[in-house]
Amino acid sequence: MELVIQSIINGLIQGGFFALFAVGLVLIFGVMGVVNFAHGELVMIGAYTIWLVHAQYGFPYLPTLLLAIVLVMGIGLLMERFLFRPTRSDPLAGLICSIGVLFILQVVATLIGGDGPSKQVPPPLDGTLVVLEFIRIPYQRLFGLGVSALALLTLWYFLTRTRLGWALRAVALDREAAALQGININVISFIAIGVGAGLAGLAGGLMAPLTNINPHMGHNVIITAFIVTIVGGVGSLSGAVYAAIIYALFHTFVTVYLGGTVATICGLILMVLVLIVRPTGIMGVRVSE
Amino acid sequence: MGFTRRDILRASVAGAFATGATALPTQLLAANKTVKIGMNIPMTGDYAPWGLPGLYGCEIVANNINTAGGVKIGGDTYNIEMVAYDHGYDTEKAVQGYKKLVLQDEVKMVMMLGGSTVASVLPWAQRRKMLTTTLLPSDITPESEYLVATCESHPLYNVTGVEYLKAKYPDAKTAAIVTNNDAEYGLQSAATYKAAFEVAGIDVVDVNLHGFDITDFAPIVSSVLAKNPDIFCMATSFYVTPLMEQLYHQGFKGKIISCTLDYYDEIIAKTSREFVDGTIFQFPDFDDPALNDPGVNFPNPGDFDAKYRAAHPNDWSAVSWEYPAILLNWLEGAKAAASVDPTAVLKALRSAKNPEFVFGGGQWWGSQLWGLDNAVVGRWPVVVVENGKARIQEYRSVSGWLEKNKDVLIKHMKELGLRTV
Amino acid sequence: MTGKTGKIISGLVLLAALLLLPHLLQYHHQDLLIFLTINVLVVASYRIVTLTGEWSLIHAVMMGVGGYTATLAFKQFELGMWFTLPLAGIVAAAIAALLCFPLFRMTQFYFLIGSFAAGEAIRLCWIQFVNPFGGTGGLSGVEPPLIGNIDFLEPVPYYYLTLVVVGMCLFILHRIEKSRIGLILHSVHWNSPLAESVGVDTWRYRALAFIIGSFFVGVAGGLKVHYLGTITPNQFGVGFMVFILIWVIVGGYNRFYGPVIGVVVLTLFDESIRSLEELRPAIYGAVLIASILFLPQGLESIPTRIRRLFSRKPENDSSPSNK
Repeated sequence: MELVIQSIINGLIQGGFFALFAVGLVLIFGVMGVVNFAHGELVMIGAYTIWLVHAQYGFPYLPTLLLAIVLVMGIGLLMERFLFRPTRSDPLAGLICSIGVLFILQVVATLIGGDGPSKQVPPPLDGTLVVLEFIRIPYQRLFGLGVSALALLTLWYFLTRTRLGWALRAVALDREAAALQGININVISFIAIGVGAGLAGLAGGLMAPLTNINPHMGHNVIITAFIVTIVGGVGSLSGAVYAAIIYALFHTFVTVYLGGTVATICGLILMVLVLIVRPTGIMGVRVSE
Repeated sequence: MGFTRRDILRASVAGAFATGATALPTQLLAANKTVKIGMNIPMTGDYAPWGLPGLYGCEIVANNINTAGGVKIGGDTYNIEMVAYDHGYDTEKAVQGYKKLVLQDEVKMVMMLGGSTVASVLPWAQRRKMLTTTLLPSDITPESEYLVATCESHPLYNVTGVEYLKAKYPDAKTAAIVTNNDAEYGLQSAATYKAAFEVAGIDVVDVNLHGFDITDFAPIVSSVLAKNPDIFCMATSFYVTPLMEQLYHQGFKGKIISCTLDYYDEIIAKTSREFVDGTIFQFPDFDDPALNDPGVNFPNPGDFDAKYRAAHPNDWSAVSWEYPAILLNWLEGAKAAASVDPTAVLKALRSAKNPEFVFGGGQWWGSQLWGLDNAVVGRWPVVVVENGKARIQEYRSVSGWLEKNKDVLIKHMKELGLRTV
Repeated sequence: MTGKTGKIISGLVLLAALLLLPHLLQYHHQDLLIFLTINVLVVASYRIVTLTGEWSLIHAVMMGVGGYTATLAFKQFELGMWFTLPLAGIVAAAIAALLCFPLFRMTQFYFLIGSFAAGEAIRLCWIQFVNPFGGTGGLSGVEPPLIGNIDFLEPVPYYYLTLVVVGMCLFILHRIEKSRIGLILHSVHWNSPLAESVGVDTWRYRALAFIIGSFFVGVAGGLKVHYLGTITPNQFGVGFMVFILIWVIVGGYNRFYGPVIGVVVLTLFDESIRSLEELRPAIYGAVLIASILFLPQGLESIPTRIRRLFSRKPENDSSPSNK
């Protein structure tokens, strides 16, 4: 019983991180029609920023987190302007370009951090919250969960309560129709990738003190993001959030009882099953062809 | 916690431009011949911590010898030149690098890390009669005459830590083992720990084998701690830091035993000194006074440590001294054979009744497990963290343990599906 | 265009060059030549999959399926290479056939992701099930054949062997593409509703292309493992898949020889920047992006472009899009 409760909490915290980068991927795909294969590397750059600026040069954690968001956002905007915009007519070309970016970012990380053991960031928040003597949550993880939830709520407010958010959703629904309504697709694309990349940077920054940081850490991130995106429904942001939490709980429990690799295999099979049975995902909407 | 990334960078760039060929001694004496020793190791990628630091160590040893005027082998005096090739733990590149070292650079010995990269060059070692070394004796096969493991006998030395733990903390009755699930490092080590615990009369209540794709260790540690083990045992070193961090946060109070504890100062930074203190593992720092023990066969370890830390302050890992120790073994063999010819050196090494082993007490072993007596086992140190510093507690005999308990070990190796003869 | 005799002469010159090549190279470059020859088969077989317009991300794993099949057949059943090679192809094709049922319910983006997921699941199985796949460390001890006193562990004989096998496979692939089936595959790509309306079962032909491609890449996997002697799951990860994509895209996928040009040119390029070690992936990435932005038809389009430049004909470029 204790293990079950502890696992639920572990799963929820993981779910928060999963949601952050999966929502970004969905946003970029929805608005721009591009599968951003370099999304995991954006998370990685966020984590490296924390390692370099906070852990190496002693800059305080919170401003560094902000810096990570801004930096990764900047990378996203550059990708949109110079790669995705020129190739907008061909979604495959955008995907291939993002693979090119993936390679470049990995090398950048190797140049910054060198090869060798994974980097470690000492957690800025020490200590552990102990509830009922058997549930133990490190404050750093609690902080990560809180910030993820806050970021997702802000995004939800932005998308559903502001004009810009409506415009963004309109483009995701039907790009041509939205353009006809006078919505500037380039501006909306900038916002989508800015928000998506910013969330990836935030996820990386939050995960940095909790995980092994290395140039290849993006690989697991992108697999997770794909699974979450597909299970949640490619066009659906809320679906991505629900799927992130469900998948994180699923993954945590399978890891506890059957092992980590089995958990990932099950996740991938789950994803293929969803693709077969319900290609629009659990919360999916039909996206424009 | 100054991690000198510039240092690593410089090293990697230097390695890059030399395309592996790191010619060292500049003070070559005109009369001296040069003998080249090859290293076909990972210098980039995930396995780099078990390759590159070894090259640094060998450069120091080679430099010491060369500045002292070289080494007398047979009638000639030789300088030593290290030639390294980075295979990045990729089998394809390992084969290419091996051929380059052997056929183009004409090295007299090739040192390697082990695992699939060694397996892929084995046919060539046999064919070219090239003395090849590994840190994983489990690479030895009944046919691999030219492959020896003269220094690290991963993971057999783990039995010493368990013996020490049993003697020091007789109340610890149950243990849980966590390791990555690869047959090269993780499972070998897990089987050895299982055998050692069985011999020590400690119950293994959980064996958690995880993959390399884990980003969050919280669920793993939670599920292991739910079994309430007195001892938490980490069988390989890839994920020691995140595991220790989780143990710390989830409030583990028992004993921790680990195969390695590389970069333990980083672990202390992520947890606390009090928490890490008392952790038992197997790899000493070389400024340890206990290395001046008369049985130890490593000339002036303190001086080696000082030179190493001056040149590469934050790159010390378990292999920093292991490849140099193999180089020293080779020198002994070459002197005894009065030749640098690989076959002659191998013969001289193998015919020694009491081979020089880095921690002393060495003897050839391995046929019962892998089919050939091509690994040296002897004494091995048990290391414990005291006040944030690794200190050798005692030396224990691995060969003695094997003599009595090898059947238990073979049983557990078979149980985990590992190759035995 | 020269006539038939011209083609035969240039073919013979190419053949002579291919036969002479290993003797002009250093030992470890001969290895590289073998791996390059095998990779030519990898990209050529990938092309047949892409003919229908679907880009799969499972091709590298299919090569691994072939490799593991050959390894297990060799080690467990002591079959020689003459049996393991076809078997490698057949098992890869059989697994592809099974995967067709889930995968070809999807198209485009969904197919891309679905194939990626299926491939990763297979690859993780090799890691998870230490028995029989050997886990992360993989398997070793596979040997090339020994015929009389020709030892195929030596690079030059093995290169000739590879050349023969790959040459045969390329010939068959080329014939398939030029046959009726090949034309239908093209039609499925360019106008699948139209193809369907004239009675072409697009599902069947997409599946067929996938199975054929998997067969030949399985053979390539068998060829590789018999020379290398070892096999590990990480050889067939997303990294290698990306390289296949790069070779095909940089080479150009509108003609049969485009991907072949891509893999040859990029391998030579890669070897020439070997001294840059760590920077190499980034340079690859930059080349990839540059070729997408500035040379969307690939290297194979360069001669056409130059010819156009001189003949000053108006460009009627119809860039292939997957939309």
